[in-house]
Amino acid sequence: MPIVSLRNITKAFPGIIADDQVNLDLFPREIHVIMGENGAGKTTLMNVLYGMYRPDGGEILVDGKEVKIRTPVDAQALGIGMVFQHFSLIEVFTVLENFAIGRRGGKLALNLSNLQSKVEQAEREYGLSVSLDRKVRELSIAEKQKAEILKVLFMGARVLILDEPTSMLTPQEASALFKSLRAFKDQGKSVVLITHKLYEILEVADRVTVLRKGRVVLESARDKVTPAILAEATMGRSLSAGEYPRHIMETKGALTVKDLSVMGDRGEDAVSSATFEVRRGEILGIAGIAGNGQRELVEALVGLRKAGSGSVQLEGQELAGKTVRKRMRLGLRYVPEDRKRRGVAVDLPLTHNAVMRDHWLVPFEHNRLLNFKAIKEFAGKIISDFGVVCSSESSQAASLSGGNLQKFIVGRELLRPTQYIVAENPTAGLDMAATDYVRRALIDHRNAGNGIILVSGDLDELITMSDRIIVIYRGRTSSPIIRAEFDKLKIGALMLGQASQSISPVQ
Amino acid sequence: MDQSAGTLNLGVEGMMLIGTIVGFFTDYYTGSLLLAFLFAGLAGVVLSLLHAFAATSLRADQVVSGTAIWFIGWGLSGVIYRALFGNYLVPPTIGTLPHLQLPILTSIPIIGPILFGEDPVAYFILLMIIVTHYFLFHTQIGLNLRTVGEDPRTAEEMGVNPIRYRYAATMFGGFMAGIGGAYLTIAVTGTFYYDLTAGLGFIAVALIYFGKWKPLQTFLGSLVFGAVYVLFLTIQTHFQAIPYQFFAMWPYLAIVIILCGVAAKSGGPAGLAKPYEKRE
Repeated sequence: MPIVSLRNITKAFPGIIADDQVNLDLFPREIHVIMGENGAGKTTLMNVLYGMYRPDGGEILVDGKEVKIRTPVDAQALGIGMVFQHFSLIEVFTVLENFAIGRRGGKLALNLSNLQSKVEQAEREYGLSVSLDRKVRELSIAEKQKAEILKVLFMGARVLILDEPTSMLTPQEASALFKSLRAFKDQGKSVVLITHKLYEILEVADRVTVLRKGRVVLESARDKVTPAILAEATMGRSLSAGEYPRHIMETKGALTVKDLSVMGDRGEDAVSSATFEVRRGEILGIAGIAGNGQRELVEALVGLRKAGSGSVQLEGQELAGKTVRKRMRLGLRYVPEDRKRRGVAVDLPLTHNAVMRDHWLVPFEHNRLLNFKAIKEFAGKIISDFGVVCSSESSQAASLSGGNLQKFIVGRELLRPTQYIVAENPTAGLDMAATDYVRRALIDHRNAGNGIILVSGDLDELITMSDRIIVIYRGRTSSPIIRAEFDKLKIGALMLGQASQSISPVQ
Repeated sequence: MDQSAGTLNLGVEGMMLIGTIVGFFTDYYTGSLLLAFLFAGLAGVVLSLLHAFAATSLRADQVVSGTAIWFIGWGLSGVIYRALFGNYLVPPTIGTLPHLQLPILTSIPIIGPILFGEDPVAYFILLMIIVTHYFLFHTQIGLNLRTVGEDPRTAEEMGVNPIRYRYAATMFGGFMAGIGGAYLTIAVTGTFYYDLTAGLGFIAVALIYFGKWKPLQTFLGSLVFGAVYVLFLTIQTHFQAIPYQFFAMWPYLAIVIILCGVAAKSGGPAGLAKPYEKRE
């Protein structure tokens, strides 16, 4: 008998039906993967089960009995726990204090030592060791995740839901997580994994449910599906050929970074003597776990942050001390990670956003005034060339979905004269179709003889896209690894700061 | 306490002002100090409820709401005074609180009167600082409250009702602000005049930043402010030629300068001044 059965669950938001009569059974001793594009209704469905949303229709059965789940507390009481992408942990508290929040039945005074022995017992039971006395903010993402999973299990979860748990993990950390999940399964738990990464499903799933536009389009045992079947079910069409076409390029020039050091927000050495170059006609991938200096490095490259020392030369031109605008004029442009804050002004129409960096240049400037005709034409060109779905050029940027907004931003940067692009996690949060589109656009730009620096937390993306990869760890860059020698585990080890000598410099 | 739960209360000034008048007239009519403080505190609670309703339930901008509360308290205190006492040429007065006179202890030279010669409320305040500190950092409810201030969604997931906690914390703040206001009329001046608090409520908010959301450190900050205040009061008496406003300004300026150094780097509750919107 399933622990949990969802029957005809429907949930609508203004203007969109997120889940439309969805059925789902969760069995004990099983890892069930729910996959689908952004907006397919995966997370909404799990939020309904966890009591974050009230369904508009349908029923939930736990152990065969119909239940009403109005709040997360109700869900927990029924043994349903959820680990979100943004952890439910208070950063300034210790791990143990996080376990203590909201506990009842004790005395007025906090009794943490009593709680500690109980949590330690749970650590042994589930084979998860967490440093209970440390503040959450001092932990790595993988450690936070472990603490969060332990907390959910400690609160009595039989059904453990994880929303995109590997999006910020290295391959090593991800396989450690999967090992734990299998152990939970063997203990009789039901594990639900929300993801859109194909290889994860193939690695851990026992059963797969694919959602598309709020409906279940596929429900199957793991051994009956192939990557092609899953991709087609997810997108409603087959995935375009796995490899992107790449032309071999001749090197004509390069953006050279030498001994670049950059200070972080708190005065720390965020980047220490980074040295690398990106040539015209190649994609240089920068791998690393978030927070190892990537942000500061990117900001120093594009001119948003002052570099401490070292040099950045664009085909012989020194960029140090030059403003963002001057660097842009020299042919260096930027696709920022934070689309809504750095990529566009959300309340302005697409026309204004289209010329946000170039409004002072011909043809957008005409006799010191804005040339609205040219601006509108350019916005229209971005929209049609990059397949941006929107009602018109004058729609507010805020009205676009994440994927369409990103296509718009990438289009804006690529359609203007530029030889070098810095792209920071350009596909983060995008679904498969939009991801594919953006990657293709960047590859095309490379094939046209331009240099791209691709900073990404997604190692698979870097391996697919890059000609060479360097790893940044604690602000230090590794020597480049060429495409023929890409090895996921080796790069993963470098990201964790291990074995930094084992890879010989390759030129 | 308020801010620990994630509600920024700029209305403290208004709640203190309403406390000055309510404390004053209650004492004037009943002669009971206890009732005076109680009613002043309750008046603060009424205003704080307004703030809590706007900030928590209506999810209004807390700076705007707090500023409105300030004006309400400011206006209302004046109106009530006029309505009750008219326009006296000689303002009505009440006796101020007697200072403690402990045998032996108070007569110790120098430190005796300083440590043991204050009025009872001063000791009550010291006690409240310790109680608040214990409550925030050593009790289950205190931990829950700080969770609400950091991340209401997490609090709710852990079975803590953020709305209820924010209301309670804001009301507690209102009660204490009301008492603080009454303290000025009852214990310090013995009479009421307009805008008696002279920005002390805002200073209190600023001191929370100084104290990094910890009652004991905040108290330390208030001592610094008090010292600077008294220092310039003393200097002022020696330089009669210079307008007194010039000196009166310094303690406030000192706070600004200190805050520029201290508070710029300090991290407050992550959920401060952000309304909590339940997803539905």
